[in-house]
Amino acid sequence: MTLDSYLLVGAALFSLGLIGALSHRNLIALLIGIELMMNAASLNLMAFNRFVVTDPTTGQIFVLIIIGLAAAEVAIFLSIILRIYRAYHDIDAEKLTKLSG
Amino acid sequence: MDTLSLILLTTISPLACFIIAIIFLVQQPRIAQGLVLCGSAVSLLSAIGLLVQGPVEPLRFLWFQSGAIQLQFGFILDGASLMFGVVVAFITACIMLYSIGYMAHDPGKTRYFALLSFFAWSMLSFVYAVDLLQSFIFWELVGLSSFFLIGFWFEKPEAAGAARKAFLMTRVGDVGLFIGILIILQLVQNFDIPSLLDPQSGLSTQISPGMLNAITLLIFIGIMGKSAQFPLHTWLPDAMEGPTPVSALLHSATMVAAGVFLMIRLHPLFMAAQDTALIVLSIATFTAILASTIAMVDTDIKKVLAYSSIGQLGFMIMALAAGSLFAGVFHLITHAVFKALLFLCSGIYIHAYHTNSMAEIGRRGGRRLKATTFGLLIGGAALSGVPPLAGFWSKEEIFAQLGHNGFNIYMAGAFLAAFLTAYYTFRMIFLITKPDHAPASDHSHPEPMNMKAPVLLLTLGAIVLGFFGSNIAQGLGLMPQHHSVILMIPTVGIVILGILIAYFDYGRDNAPRTGFISKIAPLNTLFTNKWYIDDIYRVTIVAITHALSRILHWIEDHVLDGNYDRFGLGILRTGAKSTRIQGGWMQLYLGWAIILLAVVALYLGLR
Repeated sequence: MTLDSYLLVGAALFSLGLIGALSHRNLIALLIGIELMMNAASLNLMAFNRFVVTDPTTGQIFVLIIIGLAAAEVAIFLSIILRIYRAYHDIDAEKLTKLSG
Repeated sequence: MDTLSLILLTTISPLACFIIAIIFLVQQPRIAQGLVLCGSAVSLLSAIGLLVQGPVEPLRFLWFQSGAIQLQFGFILDGASLMFGVVVAFITACIMLYSIGYMAHDPGKTRYFALLSFFAWSMLSFVYAVDLLQSFIFWELVGLSSFFLIGFWFEKPEAAGAARKAFLMTRVGDVGLFIGILIILQLVQNFDIPSLLDPQSGLSTQISPGMLNAITLLIFIGIMGKSAQFPLHTWLPDAMEGPTPVSALLHSATMVAAGVFLMIRLHPLFMAAQDTALIVLSIATFTAILASTIAMVDTDIKKVLAYSSIGQLGFMIMALAAGSLFAGVFHLITHAVFKALLFLCSGIYIHAYHTNSMAEIGRRGGRRLKATTFGLLIGGAALSGVPPLAGFWSKEEIFAQLGHNGFNIYMAGAFLAAFLTAYYTFRMIFLITKPDHAPASDHSHPEPMNMKAPVLLLTLGAIVLGFFGSNIAQGLGLMPQHHSVILMIPTVGIVILGILIAYFDYGRDNAPRTGFISKIAPLNTLFTNKWYIDDIYRVTIVAITHALSRILHWIEDHVLDGNYDRFGLGILRTGAKSTRIQGGWMQLYLGWAIILLAVVALYLGLR
C-alpha cells in the first residue's frame, strides 16, 4: 500500500461527496455529501500522517478533532434542518431562496 | 420710582405681555387683549413718568467686550427719545383700545394683540437704544413685527405678498444701513451713540468728510427703506393689506417713524456730511411730490392715506436734512397723532361699510358716523396744514427752515407738495361727506365706544398738539423759533388754494367729481399708474431676479442634483445587478466556493 492509493481513495471519496452535496436537493442528502467530503479529508490526513510525518500523534489528534467537530456539526445541521422543516414544511434546498437578492 | 425701573417698565412690560399672551392665552383671547392693554397702559404711564423726570444721562450696561470693542445695552434718555417714547406708547395704547372693537370677531385675536405688544416693545426699545448695534437689532425687530402684522391675514395671498414685499424692500435698505454700521465699527471701534455724536471727539472729527458722506449715505439707504422714501417706497401702499389699526400703528408711531427717528438720533452726523444732506433733501422733496401726486388720483382711502404718509415722511426728512432737528421731531410727533387718527377713522368706515373706496363710503352714508367724520375732518385739516391745527405749526416750521437756510428750489417743491396734500386730503373728505347721490337706507351700526374713544382722544391731540411746539423745542434743548408772519401767508395761501380746488372739483353741488388733473391726460395716466415705478421694478429687478432664479434652479436640478442623482442611481443599479449573484440557492454557493478553492489550489500547486 502506497501513499498514492490512499490519496486516490480519498479523492474518490471527496468527489463522491462533492457530487452528492451539489446534486441533491434534499438537505439531508446534502449533509451526507458534506460528511463524505470531510471523511475524505480525514483519510488524506491520516495517510499523510502515516507516510510523510515522523511524529504519528499530530495527524491522529487532528483527525480526532475533526471527528468531534463533525459530530457537533451534524447535531447543529440536523437541528437547523428541523427548524427549516417547521418553518417551510419542506427541506428542498432549491425552494429555500428567501435570501435571494 | 427711579429712572432705571421706569425705563424697564416702559420697555419690558409689552414684551412680557407678548410672551405670556402668545404662550398661555391662545385659547383665551379676552384675557389676552385685557393683559396686552394693561401692559401698554403700564408702558405709557412709565414713559410719561420718564418724561416728567426730564432728560438724564444715558444708562449703559456692558453686554460683552471683544478686544477694544465694547457692546452695550442701554437707554438714551434725552428729549427726543423721551418725547417720542411717550408718543409711541400713547398711540399704541389708543390703537390697542380701538382694536378691541375692530378685531372683535377675528379668530386670531390673541396672536394679533400679542404681535401688537411685540411691535410696541421693539419700537420703544429702538427709541431708547444707546448703542448703534442695539438700535440695529431693534430696528430689525420692528421690521419683523410689521412683517407679521401686515401679513396677519396670511391666508389672503395679497396680504402674504404685501408682507413679503415690505420685508424684502426694507431689507434692501437694511443692507445699506448695516454696511454703514460696520464701516463705523471698522473705523472707530465704537458703537456708543452719544460718544459718536460728540462734537469734540465724535465720529465727524475722526474721519475724512468723504468717508462721513459715504457712511451717512449708507445709513440713509436704511432710512429710505424703513421710512418709504423713493425709490424704496413701494412697499408701504401694499402694506395696507394688513388690518387697518395695524396700518395706523405702522404709519404713525412705529415702523416708518423708525427711519425718521434714526435720522433724528444721528442728526449731527448728517449735518456734518454736507453732500449727503443735499442728496437726502432732494430725495425727500421728490418723494413728497411723487407721493402727493399719486394720492391725488387714488380711490382707495387707505392707499390715499398711505401715500400721504410717504409724503409727510418726506417732509420730515426734508426738515432734518435742511438742518432743523426741531422741525423734524415736531412734524414726526404731530404727524404720528393725526395720521393715527385718520387711519382709525378710515378703519371705522371700512368696518361699517366693508369697502375701501372713498366714493362708495360716501354713497353708503359715511357722514352719518358723526364722531368719525369729525375726526376725519380735524385729522384731514391737520394733515393739510390748516391753522391752528397740529400739522400747520409743524409744516410751517419746515418751510421756515427751508427758507431760512436758502434751499429755495426745495422750498418750492415743498410748497407744491403741501398744496397737493391739501388738495388730496380735502378730495378725500369731500368724497366721503358729499356723495354724488343721497345714501340709501341706513343700515350702518354706530361706532362702538371703544373705537370712538381713541378717535376722540386723537382728535383732541390733533387740535392742541400744535401749541406745544415751544415745549418740544425746549425738550430737545433748542431755542423755540419765532414764526415769521411773512412766511405764514404763502403757507396758508397754498393750503386754502388746495382746499378751494378740491371744493371746486368734488365739494360743490354739481361738482364734476373728477380731479383737475384728469384734463391733462398724460399726467393723469402717470399718476394713476403710480409713476410706473412698480411696473419698472417688475420688468427689471423682479424679472431679472426671476430669470436668475430660474437659471440657478436649472443648474441645481440638472447639474448639482442631477449628478448626485446619477451617483445615487448608479449605486442603486449596481446593487440591483449584483444581487442576482445571491440566488439564495446555497448549493450554487458551495459549487462556486469549491471551484474557487480548486483554482487557488491549482495555482499554489503549479507554482
